[in-house]
Amino acid sequence: MPTYERKMIEELVDGKLSFRQVHKILSSFKDADRFDQYVSILQERVPYDDKIIMPYGLHLNIVAKETGERIVKCDCGHEFCEYTTNWKLFANVYVRDTEEKIMEVYPKFMGCDPKWMHLREFYCPSCFTMLEVEAVPPGYPFIFDFQPDIEAYYENWLNRPVPTP
Amino acid sequence: MASINAQILAIDAGGTMTDTFIINDKGEFVVGKAQSTPHDESVGLLQSAADALTYWGTTVEESFPNLLAGVYSGTAMLNRLVSRKGRRVGLIVNKGMEDFHRMGRAIQSYLGYSYSDRLHLNTHRYDPPLVPRERTRGITERVDVFGNVVIPLYEHEVEPAVLDLLDQDVEAIVISFLHSYKYPAHERRVRDMAKEIMKKVGKEVPIFASVDYYPLRKESHRTNTTIIEAYAADPSRHTLEVMNRRIQEKGATFDLRVMASHGGTISYQANELARTLVSGPIGGVVGAKYLGEFLNIKNIACSDIGGTSFDIALITQGDLSINSSPDMARLVLSLPLVAMDTVGAGAGSFVRIDPNFKSITLGPDSAGYRVGVCNPAGGIDTVTVSDCHVVLGLINPDNFLGGEVKLYPELAYEAVKKQVADPLGLSVEDAAYGVIDLLESQLRNYLESMILGKGYSPSQYVCFSYGGGGPLHTAGYTKGLGFEDVLVPAWAAGFSAFGCGAADFEYRYDKTLDLNVNDGASAEEKLMAGSGLQQSWEELMEKVAHEFERNKFSSDKVDFRLFFRMQYQGQLNDLEIESPVNRVETVDDWNQLVASFEETYSRVYARAARSPELGYTITGAIVRGMVEVAKPKIPEEPLYGEKPPKNASLGRRKVYWKGAWTEADIWEMEALKAGNRIEGFAIIESPATTFVVPPGFETYLDQHRIFHLKEIVK
Repeated sequence: MPTYERKMIEELVDGKLSFRQVHKILSSFKDADRFDQYVSILQERVPYDDKIIMPYGLHLNIVAKETGERIVKCDCGHEFCEYTTNWKLFANVYVRDTEEKIMEVYPKFMGCDPKWMHLREFYCPSCFTMLEVEAVPPGYPFIFDFQPDIEAYYENWLNRPVPTP
Repeated sequence: MASINAQILAIDAGGTMTDTFIINDKGEFVVGKAQSTPHDESVGLLQSAADALTYWGTTVEESFPNLLAGVYSGTAMLNRLVSRKGRRVGLIVNKGMEDFHRMGRAIQSYLGYSYSDRLHLNTHRYDPPLVPRERTRGITERVDVFGNVVIPLYEHEVEPAVLDLLDQDVEAIVISFLHSYKYPAHERRVRDMAKEIMKKVGKEVPIFASVDYYPLRKESHRTNTTIIEAYAADPSRHTLEVMNRRIQEKGATFDLRVMASHGGTISYQANELARTLVSGPIGGVVGAKYLGEFLNIKNIACSDIGGTSFDIALITQGDLSINSSPDMARLVLSLPLVAMDTVGAGAGSFVRIDPNFKSITLGPDSAGYRVGVCNPAGGIDTVTVSDCHVVLGLINPDNFLGGEVKLYPELAYEAVKKQVADPLGLSVEDAAYGVIDLLESQLRNYLESMILGKGYSPSQYVCFSYGGGGPLHTAGYTKGLGFEDVLVPAWAAGFSAFGCGAADFEYRYDKTLDLNVNDGASAEEKLMAGSGLQQSWEELMEKVAHEFERNKFSSDKVDFRLFFRMQYQGQLNDLEIESPVNRVETVDDWNQLVASFEETYSRVYARAARSPELGYTITGAIVRGMVEVAKPKIPEEPLYGEKPPKNASLGRRKVYWKGAWTEADIWEMEALKAGNRIEGFAIIESPATTFVVPPGFETYLDQHRIFHLKEIVK
């Protein structure tokens, strides 16, 4: 089973890896130490010290707090909520629900019909990074994207206990 | 040595090394190597030839005047293409269609991929186009599929387009319009206007209209091929010219020929030089065809195992099958290419264990010339098939490539143990044996399915096995398939070069046609279609004759063969068929064409698949012209007895086979005599290849230095 240098995974995170190397990663068996390398790179790059136990999105991580809580946290340090709750309920939302708003991001006739579909943009209330966009029919509930089984992942797949702070 | 009569010079100029194979009148050959010299390839070529001739104790000056022919095959042109180091080409196409070239017909995002990567979408990727969008210009014109002008050529758009490309310092211009093969006038008009414009502004670059080169259907294929002509092929012409001059300075009396993808050789002066883009693997197939003709074998399954791949091609009724729109270097092309199937499994293939299913996987990538872990100089840390050979004792670690590369069995043993045997809970020997067994059964399945897929059975074929790695596995991949015979030429490792030397001097031209004849058509309609085909043949024969004239062969010396492509009306694919008649003049001639199509169709598919009620379409005319050239002689030796001479024996070696260590007789290939019969378990070694005769098999060396491998029937 292959294992890659940290530099290579770093370039992968930054989207700077050459395609030849990306192809190699794609077409080989997966490297067993990827998760650890990946998380340690993310940890080094966030301004906070809370331990990342699982990456949750491009700018979101689940971190372990002293209190035993597992919090969804933005790269800037903003804390949303316990990971068992949908973080979107605590984010700022901008809804593109008129033709005028949709045409800001699409040319005419190429965007959606606001009677059929809205675009919901979710932003971090502290740093205003766009964290997620939903394209859903009007009135559709917020989607809770991902409810990971952290215990099972660590204990049964990585064969070790979930890290604590 | 005065007794050495060198006859054929075959050159394989690669990116790093230039190999020369010199074949004498006994079919023996020597291989010379030298570093390639890309600035002037003739330097590397002469050094390489000198190196080869030292084995016979002679020199270039002494031998070159006696040579009968020289054939060049090289990867320089392909490298120029793959590394995108060709000319700055400008492209003129239909206005509104400027993007089609860089869109690569979508298929170019996964051409040349392994089966798993074709399905693995994230691996798909486009290479940069040969001509970028900013050097592509559109000119308004449109011709329909029947050749009718729908929109006339807007001549006033030509000058700005050409000037614009010249301003961008293009070094060549390619013109490709839709359906130009049907109505060439517009392309030719633009070509002539461009020439005048360039003369006027005093900045002349070569110009290539697709109809002058590849007048064939499918605009992506045709445009790519014409661009390659301008981008990579034409710039190589000078290189070949210099090389030709240098070998003539050394006393050679022939003109160097170049191996082309249709299986013949052409002159470096040929109009369509891009045909020589791929030539390497074709050599072996051409060699097999030549040997087959000599031995009077009509149906041959060619199999070649090299370091990286297993190549199969079929010769049926003495003819190679041709793929008329192949892909190469991840580009769709309209060059006729000898149809070959390749599996990414060779002697250098990597061996890995699937961590989830604990199964052995082979390739698709390979260590190539770096061999494997057993060759520390190669810097490889993943086990390869060669490592397994070493563990089992099948190859002699001290005599690999004539002892040039030293192999370390203990390194192979350790690596196989750690990476393959331990994870599977097997002994190291059983693990290595399992790898070989898996490889051989994969190759066997592949070979069988290819022959069955073409509508034949292996019992109708003779299998030729060659390549450096072929004879190691011949017994394994032919076992139980029931081939009529299995042949391993003693010069297996140099067989491709032998094939290049044996290739005909042959030009081939293709032209797209659309001749429809309904079921139950009148005599008049048949005659009309027939005369359309006849006219195209004559046009192509003229082109072929013209190419030979450039090489000072008059057309009465040329042996012409006529072919056509036919399908049932409405079909998308056609079949290439040799014409049973020399001219189409009467209704009966037409009916003969149809009859041979029907016969081929029922052989390739099934009798019940024939659908004559749909009527017929002729989709293309093909002319091949050949002239006699000197060919390598196939060795002829007097027969000795069945018992091999004592001095051929190299003793015995321990080899692991089917769960136990056994002793194998080791023989020196060169010292064996015609007529010798050897029963397995035996390993026959030569510097460049190893021939394994496992228990239950025997081999017989005939008077042409060809081994015949047979299963012993009990």
